[in-house]
Amino acid sequence: MELENIYYNKHEYVETASGNKVCRQTVLCGSQNIILQGKVIIQADAIIRGDLANVKTGRYCIISKEAVLRPPYKKFSKGVAFFPLSIGDNVFIGEKTLINAAQIGSYVHIGKNCVIGRRCILRDCCVIEDNSVLAPETVVPPFSRYGGSPAAKPAK
Amino acid sequence: MSKNSIKIFPGAIVCEEAKLRGDITVGSGTIIHPCATIVAEAGPIIIGEQCLIEEQAKIVHRLPLDQQNKENTPVLIIGSHNVFEVGCTVEALKIGNNNVFEAKCFVGNKVTVTNGCTFGTGCVVTDEQILKENVSIFGAKCHMRESLDKPAPQTLQMETLVKLLPNYHHIRKPNCKH
Repeated sequence: MELENIYYNKHEYVETASGNKVCRQTVLCGSQNIILQGKVIIQADAIIRGDLANVKTGRYCIISKEAVLRPPYKKFSKGVAFFPLSIGDNVFIGEKTLINAAQIGSYVHIGKNCVIGRRCILRDCCVIEDNSVLAPETVVPPFSRYGGSPAAKPAK
Repeated sequence: MSKNSIKIFPGAIVCEEAKLRGDITVGSGTIIHPCATIVAEAGPIIIGEQCLIEEQAKIVHRLPLDQQNKENTPVLIIGSHNVFEVGCTVEALKIGNNNVFEAKCFVGNKVTVTNGCTFGTGCVVTDEQILKENVSIFGAKCHMRESLDKPAPQTLQMETLVKLLPNYHHIRKPNCKH
């Protein structure tokens, strides 16, 4: 799967020492808890909630416009804890997608307008189609393609 | 309608980055995340106690075209213990207590929401109706059925957020007394 070229306006972006390109219109809450490993692109109006828990992305990730990255929570008998959200390398996250996952592997493609439910685990090289909704705590195996609401493997 | 008058009761956490427009009253214990949007266009909005409004949630008080009447300004009353998740758009006429609006759902401006209703992720409800209590709307085709139980309250999550959010955000000061 080859992505199209995306052209951007240099004035709207900030480039860090490790090559991350972050748009000025993003909302990064709790930026001390957000780790971008390098060459990561974050487009306009994306929201990353580092204030809830740590968010760590690998290299060469693309986070599209209006996407929301939000660490998941889990209920315990003594209250709620937020869990860190870790993302591998070369992950594409489409526009207006909400990520509540616990773990996303490498080479994952998530389409636009998706909802990845609480504490989902996406293994390496999987594809989530556009407009799909992953139910909470789903585990997506490697090299699989999920779509629909609630998302499942499309029947062949 | 450009005048902003926002009343916040003590105990509410309203982040400064939240977009609030119009005449809005926020009850105590309510949490409004940054980047949430609340627009009181047609009249005041009163939000009850212990509501949770997450980022990108949009609460709009807008009347249907055929009901626009300049003489009486209706008030949108939102009850207590409601949860508005990320990216939901709610334009309902009236909202009771203990409702959950999950991520990316859309509730139109002809709908009256009672108590204990759950709007599933991505569901769209626009037809003119008064929803029964404890109704769940779910799935890609927006099926509707009555649930056995009302949704669980999110008090535990809110207790954590009350501690977390003031560490990272500027909070609007309460300007009302009990």
